[in-house]
Amino acid sequence: MLKAIQRFFRDRNSAQTARQRLGVVLMHDRLDISPDLLEALKNDIIEVLSRYMEIDQNSIRVDFEEGKDYTALVSNVQVKRVYRNVAAT
Amino acid sequence: MAGRTIVVTSGKGGVGKTTTIANLGTALAKKGFSVVMIDADIGLRNLDVVMGLENRIVYNLVDIVEGKCRIEQAMIRDRKLKKLHIIPAAQTREKDAVQPEQMKALCQQLAEQNDFVLIDCPAGIERGFKNAVAGAQQALVVTTPEVSAIRDADRVIGLLEANLLKDIHLVINRLNVKMVKQGDMMSTADIVSLLSVPLIGVVPESEDVVVSTNRGVPLVHERGSRAGAAFQKIAARLNGESVPFDDDQDGGFLSRVKRIFGG
Repeated sequence: MLKAIQRFFRDRNSAQTARQRLGVVLMHDRLDISPDLLEALKNDIIEVLSRYMEIDQNSIRVDFEEGKDYTALVSNVQVKRVYRNVAAT
Repeated sequence: MAGRTIVVTSGKGGVGKTTTIANLGTALAKKGFSVVMIDADIGLRNLDVVMGLENRIVYNLVDIVEGKCRIEQAMIRDRKLKKLHIIPAAQTREKDAVQPEQMKALCQQLAEQNDFVLIDCPAGIERGFKNAVAGAQQALVVTTPEVSAIRDADRVIGLLEANLLKDIHLVINRLNVKMVKQGDMMSTADIVSLLSVPLIGVVPESEDVVVSTNRGVPLVHERGSRAGAAFQKIAARLNGESVPFDDDQDGGFLSRVKRIFGG
């Protein structure tokens, strides 16, 4: 009886969790993005953005997000201020 | 006409490669085809015990490659089926005792004289894998519904494709229908969509497999075993027969998969 109650309250759908976790893992495996590469990408983004605005370099995050039929690169950066008079080259 | 060479691989160990190959080989031989199964797992041979032929080994794969015996001398005939043979792996040698080119030549030679050449690939993605894959035209990737097995299967699929082996089918082994229905095991549809490789069969989890391995008699000899029936269906599909995927195996999910792949 106790077991049945425990089972009822337990997080039931571990298959769904597995599917979601695997989706992310496989994507990383297939893209073959090493932590080094991600770090390099992050630094490049910082460099480009810094030409136009002052950003909080410690706040930048780069992640991959998988939707149903797409893979997105999501980057969050905290902007401190945008420079005026940036030459549009 | 030359036969087909098919490698059975998985990446992760212990998912049922040897069981799969033993049952598929036996099922195909029962249909009247001549079949040779090569155990390419040098140093960790197992196909012989699963087939119940461990007492008959004289020569092995490495002996053939090194020219110590003729191919026919290392081929052990099955106890029941005349057209079924295995070539055992060497147990006390290293994996680099065989070169990929040698495997390729051997497979070609065997394919000329047989309908099917099945290769039992070792776990892992190193030298032994490269040897086993070298001579194959087709691949079956075996996985269980667990995250680690599926992840490794995905790696192997990538490596097979990189080796220009594009004819790849998926075998899902040890599916527990009850757990899938409870939402505690990934379904066939989940696994197929994660790996995006066409499915060739689903084998239900079964105690019969342990019993058959204990005895050294492949399950397909047994009547009334669901796992054995599943292997028979895979063998039929390998032979190009169109065998419907039943819904009851997978709580209705298979019908969706069927629609995706037109099986």
